[in-house]
Amino acid sequence: MAKQPEVGVGPAPRTLTWATFVLAIAGLGVSAYLTYEHFTGSKTLACPDTGRINCAKVTTSSYSHFLGMPVALLGLIFFVVLVVIMSPWAWTSTQPLVRPARWVIVVVGLISVVYLVWAELYKVNAICLFCTSVHVITFLIFVLTLFAEVLREPV
Amino acid sequence: MANQPKGSKGSARTSTGSTKAERASRRAEVAAELRRQQVREQRRSRLIMASSVVIAIVIVVGAVVAIGLNHGPKSGKASTLAPAAVVSAVTGVPTSVFNSIGPGTADNPPTAIKGGTALTQGGKPRILYVGAEYCPYCAADRWGLVAALSRFGTFKNLGVTHSASGDVYANTPTLSFHGASYTSKYIVFKGYERQSNKISGGSYADLDTLSKSDLALFDKYDNPPYVQSSAAGTIPFIDWGGLYLTSGASYLPTMLAGKTHLQVAQAMSDPTSSAAKAIDGTANVFTAMICKLTKGQPANVCGSAGVTAAASKIK
Repeated sequence: MAKQPEVGVGPAPRTLTWATFVLAIAGLGVSAYLTYEHFTGSKTLACPDTGRINCAKVTTSSYSHFLGMPVALLGLIFFVVLVVIMSPWAWTSTQPLVRPARWVIVVVGLISVVYLVWAELYKVNAICLFCTSVHVITFLIFVLTLFAEVLREPV
Repeated sequence: MANQPKGSKGSARTSTGSTKAERASRRAEVAAELRRQQVREQRRSRLIMASSVVIAIVIVVGAVVAIGLNHGPKSGKASTLAPAAVVSAVTGVPTSVFNSIGPGTADNPPTAIKGGTALTQGGKPRILYVGAEYCPYCAADRWGLVAALSRFGTFKNLGVTHSASGDVYANTPTLSFHGASYTSKYIVFKGYERQSNKISGGSYADLDTLSKSDLALFDKYDNPPYVQSSAAGTIPFIDWGGLYLTSGASYLPTMLAGKTHLQVAQAMSDPTSSAAKAIDGTANVFTAMICKLTKGQPANVCGSAGVTAAASKIK
C-alpha cells in the first residue's frame, strides 16, 4: 500500500517566511522606540494628539506594566525572540522544538495584542499609534505563520 | 497477436496488448494522481481552516474595537474665570523668590530656530502659544508662562481649569488662555487653547481656532526639522518671536497633583516648595527668553539675578 502523503512537513513558502522575518524586524524597531520612550520619561506628547489618539496617555497608564514589567520592554523582548524564530534559518531548521516554539510565541503575541487593545479602548480610553502598529505587525505575523505552515510542501 | 495462446509462458502480453510493465506503470500513475489529489484536498481543507481562523479573529477583534471606539472618555470640569486671589498670587511672586530659585528644576528650555525670521506685531516681538485645556503638560507650563508674561504686561480674563480627568496626570490644576487677553508695552502675546477638556463626539471639543498665519507657523515649526519627528505636533508649543521655540513641557505635572489652584499659586511664593522650584524656574527661563526679544527691557526684570541665572539655560 502506498504511503499517505504528509502535508505540512516540507519547506514553507519562502515568500511568506521572509515576510514574517521582515515584519519581525519592523516590530523590533517600533518596540525599541517605545522602550526608549518609556525609560527616558519623555515630557512630550510624542504622537498626534487628538484626544482619543494619545501615545503618552497609553504608555504612562497603569496598563503600561504587566506583572511589574514595562509592557514596552516585554514587547521588545518578544520581538527579539520573534526575529530569531522568524529568521530564514529558523524556518529551515530541522530542530523539533522550533515549530512548536514558533506557534507558542505567535499565539501568546496574539493574545497579548487582544488584551492590550482591550485595555487601550476600555480602560485607558486612548489609542497609541505606535502601539497599534506593533499590534498590526503581530497580527500579520500570526496570519503569515499560519499560512506558511498550511502551505508547507508535502514530502 | 490475437492468436497468442492465453497464459502461455515466455510472453507478458495480455489480450489487450499491454505488458505487465505497462500495467505497473499505469497503476503507479494512477496512484501518483491519487496522491496529488489527496495532497490538494488536504491543502484545500487546511487553507479553509486557516482562513476561517483568521476571519474569526478579525470578526472578534473588529467587534471589540468597534464597541470600544464608542466607549468614550470622561469629560473634565469646564473652565471658569480665575479667582482674583489666584491671579494675584501667580502674578505677584516676589522678585526675591525668583532670584533665589533661578532656573530651578525647569527643563526643556527654548531652542533657537535655525534660519528663523523675527515675528513681530506693531513693532513688538510676538509670542505665540498653542495648547489645549485637556493637555496635562500644557497645564504644567501655563503657570510659569503666566508668571513670566506678567513681568512684562497684564492679563485680563484668565481662566482656571483642569487637564482632562481621563488623561495621564489627570485633573492637573491650571490656568487657561481661552477668552483671556494680554497687553504689554514690550511684547505681543497670543495664546490658543485648541480644545477643551470636555468630550464631544468621542474626542475633546474644539475651542480656539488658530488664524491662518498662526496655523502656518505652528505647522511649520512644530514639525521636523525644527523638532524631532517623534515630537511633531507636540503641545504645548511656543514660538518666541519667530526666533526660538519650545515644544513640550518644562517639568512633569506630578507635583501639582491634588492641589487646588490657590494652593499652587501660593506655593509659587515658597522658595522651598518643589512646585516653586519647577514653576518659578520655568518662569525665570521664559522671562530670560522674553528679555532676549526685548533686548533686556525692562531692565529691572531682565537684569535680576534669577533671570540672568536662567538665561544660561537657553540654547
